[in-house]
Amino acid sequence: MSLGKADFGVTTFFASSHPNDKCGVNGLPLTPNSIKVLGRFHFLTTLRNPSLCNYLEILKGKHECLVIISEYFQQNLKKLCIEKKLSETDILKLAFEILEGLVYLNCHGIVHRNLSQENILFDPEGHVKLSEYGMYHMTDWGTSVSFPIGLPQYMAPETLCGGPVQVEEYTDKPIQPPCGPKVDIWTLGLVLVEVIMGEELWNSLTLQQTIYKTLEFIKRDLHPLDVIMQEHKNGGKLRVMTKGTLDLLRQMLNLSPSQRPSAAELLKHQVFKDMVEEESPYENGYRLFTSEMRSKNLELPRIEDIGNDQDEDIDHLSLRSMEEVHYLWKLAGGDVENVLTKAGLLKTKSPIHLIPRYKSLKMQYTILMLYNNQRKILDSTSFYLLYPIVSKIIHVITHRVTPSPSSVDLSETANLPLVIREKDVDYQFHRIILYDRLLKAYPYKRAHIWKEARVDIPPLYRAYVWAALLEVEGDIQALYDSIDKETPTFTDRQIEVDIPRCHQYHELLSSPTAHAKFKRVLKAWVVSHRQYVYWQGLDSLCAPFLSLNFNNEALAYSCLAAFIPKYLHKFFLKDNSAVIQEYLAVFTHLIAFHDPELSNHLDGIGFIPDLYAIPWFLTMYAHVFPLHKIVHLWDTLLLGNSSFPLCIGVAILQQLRDRLLSFGFNECILLFSDMPEIDIQKCVQESIRIFCQTPKSATFRQHARPSQREKKSENRPNLSYYSRDYNYQQACELSMEAVSIEELKSEKCPRISAEDLIELGELAGPVNSRSPTKKKPTSKPKLLVIDVRMPEDYKRGTTPDSVNIPFQTGFSPEGDLIPCPAVQALDSHKSQIKVVVGNRGRNAANFAGELVRLKYSRVCVLHKGIDVLRSTAILTIPPADI
Amino acid sequence: MSLAVEKEFVFTFSSKDQKSTLKVPVTIPLQQSASDLVGRLVAAHNLPCYVEDDLKKSLEKFVDDETWKFHDENAEAAIAKVRKDPSLVDGLVDKWSGVFKKEVKKFADNEAVSEEEKFADVYHTLIHSPALETLLNLEHEYACTIEDLIDQRDRDLQHLENSQRKEMETAVQNVGVMYTDDQINQLAQRHFENTQLIDSKWSGELSNVKESQKKEYREWVMTVHQAMQTTDRVPAYLQRVRALSLTMPEAKEGERSSQSTTMEESFTIHLGAQMKTTHNLRLLCTDVLDLCRHKPHTVGGVLVPQPQRLQTAMSLYSSNLSGLILLVDNRLNYYTGLKRDFAKVCEMSTDFHFPAMDQQFAHIEKEVVIANEFRVHSRSTEDGDSTSIKSGGSGSSDGQDKANRIQTGDFYMTKHSNLAEVHVLFHLVCDDSIRFSDMTSRHPVILSIRNIIKLCFRYDITTITIPLLLAHDMSEEMTIPWCMKRAELIFKCVKGFVMEMSTYSAQESRTIQFLVPRGMSEEMFASISAMLPSIFRLSNSIVVKSSSPNSA
Repeated sequence: MSLGKADFGVTTFFASSHPNDKCGVNGLPLTPNSIKVLGRFHFLTTLRNPSLCNYLEILKGKHECLVIISEYFQQNLKKLCIEKKLSETDILKLAFEILEGLVYLNCHGIVHRNLSQENILFDPEGHVKLSEYGMYHMTDWGTSVSFPIGLPQYMAPETLCGGPVQVEEYTDKPIQPPCGPKVDIWTLGLVLVEVIMGEELWNSLTLQQTIYKTLEFIKRDLHPLDVIMQEHKNGGKLRVMTKGTLDLLRQMLNLSPSQRPSAAELLKHQVFKDMVEEESPYENGYRLFTSEMRSKNLELPRIEDIGNDQDEDIDHLSLRSMEEVHYLWKLAGGDVENVLTKAGLLKTKSPIHLIPRYKSLKMQYTILMLYNNQRKILDSTSFYLLYPIVSKIIHVITHRVTPSPSSVDLSETANLPLVIREKDVDYQFHRIILYDRLLKAYPYKRAHIWKEARVDIPPLYRAYVWAALLEVEGDIQALYDSIDKETPTFTDRQIEVDIPRCHQYHELLSSPTAHAKFKRVLKAWVVSHRQYVYWQGLDSLCAPFLSLNFNNEALAYSCLAAFIPKYLHKFFLKDNSAVIQEYLAVFTHLIAFHDPELSNHLDGIGFIPDLYAIPWFLTMYAHVFPLHKIVHLWDTLLLGNSSFPLCIGVAILQQLRDRLLSFGFNECILLFSDMPEIDIQKCVQESIRIFCQTPKSATFRQHARPSQREKKSENRPNLSYYSRDYNYQQACELSMEAVSIEELKSEKCPRISAEDLIELGELAGPVNSRSPTKKKPTSKPKLLVIDVRMPEDYKRGTTPDSVNIPFQTGFSPEGDLIPCPAVQALDSHKSQIKVVVGNRGRNAANFAGELVRLKYSRVCVLHKGIDVLRSTAILTIPPADI
Repeated sequence: MSLAVEKEFVFTFSSKDQKSTLKVPVTIPLQQSASDLVGRLVAAHNLPCYVEDDLKKSLEKFVDDETWKFHDENAEAAIAKVRKDPSLVDGLVDKWSGVFKKEVKKFADNEAVSEEEKFADVYHTLIHSPALETLLNLEHEYACTIEDLIDQRDRDLQHLENSQRKEMETAVQNVGVMYTDDQINQLAQRHFENTQLIDSKWSGELSNVKESQKKEYREWVMTVHQAMQTTDRVPAYLQRVRALSLTMPEAKEGERSSQSTTMEESFTIHLGAQMKTTHNLRLLCTDVLDLCRHKPHTVGGVLVPQPQRLQTAMSLYSSNLSGLILLVDNRLNYYTGLKRDFAKVCEMSTDFHFPAMDQQFAHIEKEVVIANEFRVHSRSTEDGDSTSIKSGGSGSSDGQDKANRIQTGDFYMTKHSNLAEVHVLFHLVCDDSIRFSDMTSRHPVILSIRNIIKLCFRYDITTITIPLLLAHDMSEEMTIPWCMKRAELIFKCVKGFVMEMSTYSAQESRTIQFLVPRGMSEEMFASISAMLPSIFRLSNSIVVKSSSPNSA
């Protein structure tokens, strides 16, 4: 919903705090109420109705303080009544619009409970906008706060009869059943009566008397409306209303809840007969990743209207969505707490005054007493406008919006580090508009999204961009709905144990709402993938998707379901040892390939990847890093193929290299038991570099996902050279083949396929590149071939430009290479890929192992030896003089 | 009235000429969406896809109707209950007006801003304004007066003691000659009474001076604040005080140099598995009272406040407090040992913000009584698992429980504004059991440290000093293994507590100072400091990048 003329408002309140050291039934400490509210709040941001103010964001401050940001308008019913007298038609229109809002809320299971003259707002066109309607929902029917929700004079009789909210001691569940939606009808009735009378209800009575008045209705036979008419001096104004209006009020103020009509029923009342036709059907905006018809109700603007767009004065900002504007405001330095403190609305006592005097070890008493001092009273829910600040900042930007979003001056920003780019309002604004347009055209614009994602992904749209990169399509909601997420299964227990340990520093994910969502998404995945089982780590994998798509479980599930086969094919088999063993063996090769010194050291102390890297790969690092780092890592990971995670692993080791080299086995174990800080940006860049320097076949895994039908290939850009899997290429006899795990483990170096050799060495002349490695046309061949066969074999035919160091005679007794021209050539090609070519048999692999021992980097072995090249006719006789 | 009810949902559909009926119990209110339930039903009962839409429609309607009915029934029941028994009304009115009064400002009794808070606000603004220096000078000037007075008192008492001793000596020498035993006793009695008299005279005078200083000071602060609000110029009062400070005594040469060198080492650590929080740790070998003692000096007539003191004054009303744990015995007084020394330090100057020690102690005493009542009460109602923490060490029988008894593991807090580096003191009650080397993490003192750390998180005490060995002096049984074992225990416990407390709170960094007694050998200090990085994960040191093998 676009910003339009709305302002932003802020509400603050304090959640009630638990007594010291209270535990729940499960023995774990209770979740703080503020966290609970935080979790429940998020559903409210999905509510969209013309009669409601949108909720935008919730922030948790210190000491259970909560700050809520929502759409806000300055005009409210109370002010309006003072400004002018409302006619009966005005009042009926008002009632009609409020009821419409209530109907929408009822449909979504929300009870307002808090309706009052102050929170019935009006937009500049004079339409009703209800605000503060989420209080009762987000506080879990009032159990999370110590103050009552609603004003005493408006409380419905049934609410008063139930008494103030009480909670069960150990479960924190309410003792009374929650209020039904009909309490709002009662309140609305009273509000309308007040408006008609132009007088506040019971304004001369004390608090007790006010409450007593409502309860008294129960005992009396007279209809409450008649009582009010009698007991207020302006009661006469009610009598002059038309019969229809009076009937409406009488129905609303029916003492018996079952006879009191619901909002939907009231809308059918004959007084509203004329209004129903006036209202046009509300059009829901197109939401991403749904199967809704996106062109439904599409109306093209008339040409003369389009002309107006060129108008200089158009307020571009008001066309953007509220979420965007709010996001930009924060980027521009907007800090709600700061604003509130400055306005004097967030005032707390200095802590030194609150400190208790005495505390016994076992006691909760002192702390309880203290919280009364610190209570922040509901009255602090005053609104403060943020919008003026926003408009100033955004104003500058909007006037620079050019037709092409990727304007020139931004290319400079694009080279800055990601952290800076994510904080740059100007840059983010352009990225947001760009992605907004691209995503609306998904999947048609998929190629374009891929291209832009390689630059960066704006945090605001990350959820959708990820889904686009994972190629989520179709009616995901229906799919998700059809999965049985409730029936108990064997894995439930394990899931329940794991969730409270998964990324719980994250405020949102630690809320009970998040735990429930977690469970549902995980169960949905387990139930719909019968061939797999739940392994610990799946929860970590789910966490980034859930935190991004908190209000869209279906999308979170679809992303998870698309992510796992892409990167973790077969990892969740019941017996996944073969898959993981192969993965780790390839990882070991990769370490040796890029950093022989480190590899030698780790091998020497016996610190093998099995000891530390399994959680890395099983969770794609989601278990190792905090969420804010994972998103940056995955931004790149999602663009890469299934081998890319291996390169990230090498990059992490590279960052810890100095320490690892100086550490023994025990220290290494300790180091990884609690992952040290890693610079993610550096890690990502390093892993891209590593990836580009690794021949594709070197990371071949037989358990990788087999080639799929490439039906979407035309949509996907080919320019992303590293996004394709090796397995997706056409296999031929020169390609890589499966190698047994024992063989893999016994070798130190990766193998390279003949086709990669031919291509990297440009042995077949410049051909259309199928291999990943980027190269300039002028650069010299990227590799050096070392033929380790006996000289006589070598002379019979070998690859062009190769050197011959026979395995049997190449090494001195000390294990060094015996100097010769071939060794010189080897030394002068230090940074190039060295392909060791031999006959079938182990000589080549052993020779490569020796080279690694001697700290030669980038050594690999030709798969299947020289024989495989015989069919290619590239073998030549070497020049005789070498 | 019930929180949820189960209703049976019936759905019939026909395929060809076969009619099927589906009966499912549905919980109202339904927690998930109706379409979710449809998915589940279709899967569980293998329903044909063509009924899905019908099923969804009828289920949605069913749930909707039943939910309305559920709410209506609950509401009617609530009303019926009151209608049946009108006597409930008064109770309800009281309950509701109670919560409204207590929690909603509009209905609350007007809570006037207390004098204390007003002063706190004013002081906080002043100390962060150019008036800072003047303020400190003034405080210093007052402190000097008190110091002077205390000096006189001490001399007076010393003099009295000397003359009394002489008198006594002569008397004792002449026992049996000039004095009888009885007379000696009387003399002793008289001496004692005299001392008491002089002492109380002095303390009366001291407290009078302090009281008037405090009053003056607070008035002065308020006037300056008002003056500052009305004029922008530097008011004249600044000069006045500066002139006064010229008369202050020159510091003695020995005092001016800082206290004896202390062994100290600082660490920056990361805590947490995925999300790391950064904290600062400091290992410190010094006397605990050095952190409290505040000794202003003048050099050439200009006040030289300790920088720590400045920091302490500026953060007094901020959310960066600093606390210190002092180990005490279970008597609520300050007549002996470390407690007396500490009281002396406090006495050295007037506390302009908080009540004097004895007043604070009087308040505590009252609360101890209430707390003990509560304790007795909770013990009788307590069932096994309701309290998560039990003090194992305070195994006293109920009969012994006097109303004002403080148990091991309890602690009381005093607030101070006139100490060097500390705002809040946690007086942690210990007994001899902390000397044993087999202390475990369930010891009441350790649990109490947990509670102290919890309070620190709750009340923004961002710096806390903990005696690492749970001792303020080195003693004989503190052998090297004993010390190492104790240090490890406290390090590990504190690590656990800090991790526990920072679970749901913001990612704030804290400073924890571990204090070891003066007199510890350098080797021992070194080995404790070497142990620390093995328990806490130090943050990455910046490593100058070595050439990687690839670029070589």
